[in-house]
Amino acid sequence: MPGFWRIAPGQRLAARGWNDEFVLYNNLSGDTHLLDGDSMALLTHLQQAPASLDALVATFADGIDPDDAAALPETMATLLAQLAGLYLIEPLVTPC
Amino acid sequence: MLTVGALTRKELAARLAGPGLYLRTGPFTSCIRSNSSALLDGICQMYGAYAIDDSGFADFHLRLRRSTGWRRWIRPQVRFDNDGAIPFEPMPANHAFPMLEWMLNWCVSGSAHAYLIIHAAVVEKNGRAMVLPAPPGSGKSTLCAALASRGWRLLSDELTLIGLDDHLVTPLARPVSLKNASIPVMKAYAPDAQFTRSALDTSKGTVAHLKAPDASVARSAEPARIAWVVFPRFQAGADLALAPIAPARAFMRVAENAFNYSLTGARGFEALGGVIDGCSSFDFTYSKLDDAIALFDAMAEAPQ
Repeated sequence: MPGFWRIAPGQRLAARGWNDEFVLYNNLSGDTHLLDGDSMALLTHLQQAPASLDALVATFADGIDPDDAAALPETMATLLAQLAGLYLIEPLVTPC
Repeated sequence: MLTVGALTRKELAARLAGPGLYLRTGPFTSCIRSNSSALLDGICQMYGAYAIDDSGFADFHLRLRRSTGWRRWIRPQVRFDNDGAIPFEPMPANHAFPMLEWMLNWCVSGSAHAYLIIHAAVVEKNGRAMVLPAPPGSGKSTLCAALASRGWRLLSDELTLIGLDDHLVTPLARPVSLKNASIPVMKAYAPDAQFTRSALDTSKGTVAHLKAPDASVARSAEPARIAWVVFPRFQAGADLALAPIAPARAFMRVAENAFNYSLTGARGFEALGGVIDGCSSFDFTYSKLDDAIALFDAMAEAPQ
């Protein structure tokens, strides 16, 4: 798992939401994606600044059920991989 | 304004065989040239109320020619070309009118990208439009024809044109294409309506066209705001059922039914988002046209 994740450069995250479901126009691929609220919250967070998996888990663990919190790292990793598969986010590669 | 109906059959035939009939349908002008008597019959029956555009400009140039040589006598055919290109195989000569309708749809859906074009019927009542996207066989055209025969304004039975900036539907009221079992159903339901002769054994089965109401054609310049997106499904014996669809899911389903959503890019996304913002979306199952129309009439009468 990469150290940091960021929004894909040039991605504008044009989205519309209704009742915790969102449609997002991916201006890089031309595709439109149907996203849930968690995915959109994650993208919006990454739009502010790149973040590591640990930092994202810490941010989104606030206020959730302890059982869910235990599973959060794995859930978050899966979600990040899915969003990367849609070319919405990408690993941040830093020079050595 | 000169209309097709103001021409004698001989004058209309002369235009078709000579410089072309510059037929105005909705926002488009099509220059149609043909020597097919079947096409002439269909145009006389279906397009009497439509304007002839004598400006000399046409968005589309279509030619439907009867076959020559032995083909004039043995299983005669009609061949279509668009600006000289021949994109389709010839069809039997008596399929000329349905062929014209399909070609007009093909021209619009392939080039009118100033609109987001949805594969959907659309009708309007009391200033509110209802879009009916659905795959073939769902009863979309039958429902659209029934609504048009009961006071709803026909905007289109096949192509919903949504303005990319204003999100309004631009009317494209043309004959309603009916297939197979829906033809006798509509002949019984709207016995005073005009139908073309059925074309048998087309690629879509038996096809006939129902004339668009003159009142709808007369209001071809009046756009309409979308109030509902309804995905219809005819199911024999089923009770009437109207189930709300979450807006984001409705968005995705409408986009799947668009001809040019990908081509219109971010503008198409914004336009469709604006439409979904301003309307309610439903899955709709019906078995009786009267029940469906009573329900939709009640929706159209309800306060906004």
